[in-house]
Amino acid sequence: MPALLRPKPFLDPQYCKGCLRCIEACPRDCITPGDAINPATGLVPVELNLENCNGCALCLQACPEPYGLRLETDRPGPEGDFVLEDPAKLFGEKCVPNHSEGDLPDDRIALPACEPMVLKGTYASAIGALLAGCRHVFGYPITPSTEGAELMARILPKLNGAFVQAVSEVAAVNMMYGAGGAGLPCMTFTSSPGFSLMLEGISYMIGAEVPGVFVNIMRGGPGLGNIAPEQADIKLACRGLGHGNTRAIVLAPSTPQEMLDLTSEAFALSFRYRNPVVVLGDGYLGQMTGTVRLPAAMVRPGLPAWAVWGDRAHRHNLISSIALAEDDLEAHNEHLNRKYAVIAACEQRVDCHLCRDAEVLVIACNTPARMAKGAVEDARAQGVKAGLFRPITLWPFPIDALAEIMPGVRRIVVVEAGPGQLEDELRLALSHAGIAPPPIDHVRRCGGNLPQQAEILAGILEPEEVLS
Amino acid sequence: MSAAFYDHFSRHSHGEGLKAHSTHYCPGCGHGVAHRDLAAAIDELGIQDRTVLISPVGCAVFAHYYFDVGNSQAAHGRAPAVALGHKLAHPEAIVISYQGDGDLASIGLAETISIAQMGLPLTVIFINNAVYGMTGGQLAPTSLMGQRTTTSPAGRSPAMGQPLRMAELIAQLDGPVYVERVALFSARERVKARKAIRKAITNQIEGRGYSFIEIIAECPTHLKMTPQEAEEWVKTQMEPVFPLGVKKDLTVEPWFRPGTPSFEPEAVLGLSGAEPRREDEAREIPAWPAHLPARDIAIKLAGSGGDGAQTAALLLTRAAIAEGYDATDIPSYGPESRGGTSYADVHIAEHEVLNPAASEPHVLIAFNAPSLAKFAGTVPAGGLILYDSTVITAPPALPADRRIIPVPFTRIATELGRPMVKNVVALGALQAALNLLPEGSVPATLHHVLKDKPALLPLNEAAFAAGRAAVEAALVPA
Repeated sequence: MPALLRPKPFLDPQYCKGCLRCIEACPRDCITPGDAINPATGLVPVELNLENCNGCALCLQACPEPYGLRLETDRPGPEGDFVLEDPAKLFGEKCVPNHSEGDLPDDRIALPACEPMVLKGTYASAIGALLAGCRHVFGYPITPSTEGAELMARILPKLNGAFVQAVSEVAAVNMMYGAGGAGLPCMTFTSSPGFSLMLEGISYMIGAEVPGVFVNIMRGGPGLGNIAPEQADIKLACRGLGHGNTRAIVLAPSTPQEMLDLTSEAFALSFRYRNPVVVLGDGYLGQMTGTVRLPAAMVRPGLPAWAVWGDRAHRHNLISSIALAEDDLEAHNEHLNRKYAVIAACEQRVDCHLCRDAEVLVIACNTPARMAKGAVEDARAQGVKAGLFRPITLWPFPIDALAEIMPGVRRIVVVEAGPGQLEDELRLALSHAGIAPPPIDHVRRCGGNLPQQAEILAGILEPEEVLS
Repeated sequence: MSAAFYDHFSRHSHGEGLKAHSTHYCPGCGHGVAHRDLAAAIDELGIQDRTVLISPVGCAVFAHYYFDVGNSQAAHGRAPAVALGHKLAHPEAIVISYQGDGDLASIGLAETISIAQMGLPLTVIFINNAVYGMTGGQLAPTSLMGQRTTTSPAGRSPAMGQPLRMAELIAQLDGPVYVERVALFSARERVKARKAIRKAITNQIEGRGYSFIEIIAECPTHLKMTPQEAEEWVKTQMEPVFPLGVKKDLTVEPWFRPGTPSFEPEAVLGLSGAEPRREDEAREIPAWPAHLPARDIAIKLAGSGGDGAQTAALLLTRAAIAEGYDATDIPSYGPESRGGTSYADVHIAEHEVLNPAASEPHVLIAFNAPSLAKFAGTVPAGGLILYDSTVITAPPALPADRRIIPVPFTRIATELGRPMVKNVVALGALQAALNLLPEGSVPATLHHVLKDKPALLPLNEAAFAAGRAAVEAALVPA
C-alpha cells in the first residue's frame, strides 16, 4: 500500500499514560515526550508530530493501552461515538451456532421400566449422575470413593463425555469450575482428604456461582486416618467450605438407592441455585451393595443464559469471584445471603420414622441412621416411645420439621460415627430457631467403627431405666 | 482499535470516567502490550464470538475488564485446569489461558505441566516479567540470580532456587505441539510476538494441539525503572537467561474432533448395566422361612484375597434381591490389593436391612484358619459356622452352642476340576445348612451373571449342587 494511503495514528491525550514505549518504536522520530501535565490524568502524554509519518503503525504495537495510540480510521465519528466493526461482517459467518436468548431448558427423556439393579453406592451415585445429564467428571483416585470414578472412566468415553484424572484434587475442582462455568453439569468423586484439598475451589465456585456436584465418601481422620467410614466432614460441608461466606446444600444418603436419587437431585439443586452441592456419604455407603431402582426419566441438559460457553449469545458473560470495591463485594454477599435464605426455607429434607408421638428422639444420618432405625424399633418393642429423625439435608438442617415434633420430646439421642459434628449442627439449628431443647445425649463411635444397634438401644433406654 | 476490546470498560470501576477507556496497568506495563497483541490475533482470526479467556490471579486478574469475549476468572495457578474444563465442555470454543509467572510457574506448576502434557488444543500465554506485580514486588520463580525483590532484599541466591525456564521445560514434554519465547522490548520482537500468538491460536482453531507462548515482559514499577530502562533490562539481563525463539514446533495434522455427548436412553441404560423389566415372570416374594431366628439374617464370608468370598457375597446378595427381599453386601479388604484378608458382610432381610454390618453374624463362612479364629467368637449362640475343612485341618477350639459344619470346599472344587469354584461350593453348603433362599435362587443368579460366559455355567452349577449334597450328607443322622 502506498505510504500516503495508510492511516496515521492519533492520540487522545487522556488515554496516554506517558510511558514513552512508542518513541523507540517509531523509525521516523515522529513521537516526542510531552512537557504538559494532562489535567484529567495528572500524567504527561507524548506528543505526535506526524509530518514524516508513513503510517507504519509500529507505534501502535508498542502502546500498552487499548485506547492509547489508534489509527485515524478509528477516530470517533462526528457524533463522538466509536463505530465498531462487526467481526461477523469482516470475517464471514461464525462456525459456532448461536443459542437463543435466555436459558435453553433441560429435556426430560422417559426411560423404559427396568429391573431393579444390585449396585454399590458409588456406582449408584455415578448412574444417578449420568441420568441427571452429567457427561463431565473430574477426579483424583482416593479410597473409598474411587469406584465411582472408575465406572465413569469406562462409560463416559462411550457417551462422548469426558472423564479426566486430574493431577490432584486441586486441579480437579478447578476443571469443574471451568466445565460448570461453561454451563454443563459436572461432578467429582472424592473422600475426606481429597475434599479438604477441594475446599478452596469450592469457595471460588460459590463466589462465582458455578454449579457442580461433590460426592464425598467420608472416611476416618484426621490426617491420613484410615479408609473406614466416619462422619467427620459434616463440619467442613456445613460450616467450612473454604474461605469466606460459603454455603452449599449438603445431602446425606443412607442407602445405595439414595446415593442414586440424591446425586441426581444434587444436579437439579446445583443448577437451580447456581451453587455447588455436596453429597455426603460414608465409607460404608460407598462400598455397600444394595437394591437400586432406576427413575422414570433422565435429563438432557440445556444451557443456562449465564454460561461462558464460547459463542456470540454468551459472549458477554463472566464467571468470576472477584469484586474489588468493598460495596460491590458487600452487595454480592447480600445477594448470596438472600440465596442462602431461600435455600434454608425451601430445601429442608428429612425422613421421620415413628416421630409423631416420640418421647425419645434419635437423630442420625447416613449409615448410622440404619442402625438407629433398628434400635428405635427395638425400643418401641420394649414400650419406649422412640422415634428416628433422619436429616437428609444437613445444611439446611430440617429445623422446621424438628420444631413441630419437639413439644413432645423429652430427650434427644444423637447417633454418629464421628466426634459430634451432627450434634453441633443440631445444637446450632435449635439455637438459631430459639428452641430450648430437652437433654441431649449421644452415642458416638469413630475411627471407622459405627454405633451398633445394641449400643444405640442402650443409649435410648439407659436414662429411661433411671427414671422408672 | 481492536474490536476484541470492549468499547466501554464497564467492569472497570463501573466504567466511570477515564476508567471506561483505560486499563488498571501501570504505565509501560508489558501486560498492556501483550493485551493488544492478543486482541489483534482475535480480530485477525475472526474468533471473538468463540473465544473464552481465562484470567489468572496476578496483575492480569482483570483481563475480563477489557476483552469482549467469554471470560472466566480462575483461582491462583489453576487457569489451565479451568481452561481444560471449558474446552471439554465446548470443544468449539477457543480457550486461552493467560497467566503470569507466579501463577503459572510457582503455585500452578502442577496444573501447567500436567495439562501441557495432556496436549489438548489449548493456548497458554505466559507473561514472564521476573517479579510478582500484584502483591508488590516479591521474588518470582523466574526472578534472575542476584535480583533484589522485597522477599530477596539481598538478591536472589541459589538457595532460593534458580530461575525456571518454562518454555524449555514445556518444550521437552511430549504433549505440546508449539512452544516459543518472545519479547516486547523492540518493534522487531513485537512483530514476532504477534506472529507467535496468532500461530498458537491457529493451532487450537485447527485442532492441532497445545501451544505455549512465553512473553518476557516489563514490570517497570517493581523493577523500579522507567519503561525504557525496563525494556533495556529485559533485553540485556533477562534475554540471556531466557533465550528467545521457537523451542518446539511439531507438524501435526488436525486431530481433535470430539463427538457430541450422547443422551440416548438405550445407550445410557445399557452402559449402566440396567436390564429391561421382565414382564413374564411371576413376582411373588417367597414367605420368610419360619425356621430362621430373625427377619434379618447376617452372614459373614471371610477368607484371604482370592478365596472368592467377595464374589460369593455378591451372588448371595443378588439372589436375595432377585427374590424380592432386601439385601446388602459390604466388602472389607486389608490394605493389600491382592492377597491379605478379605471378608464381606451380607444381610438378607424380609423387608429392610437396618444394620448392614455383621459384627455378630448369624452365619460365618470361613475359608481359612485365621478367619475362623478371628470371627468364630462373634457368632452368637445358636448361630451357624461353615468352614473349609480342606484348608483348616486343625480347627481352633470353637464355641459351644453353635452349629458347626466342616465342609471340604476346596477338595470338592478340585474334584470338579477348578479349585476356584470353592466359593460356589460354599454357597451350596449354605443353602443346605440354612435354607434361607428358595432352592433355585442361587442357581438362577449364576445363570444370569454367567449369561455371557455360558461355558462356565455347568461347572458352577455342579459346584453349588456338590456343596449342598455334602452338607445334606453330613446332616443325615448316621
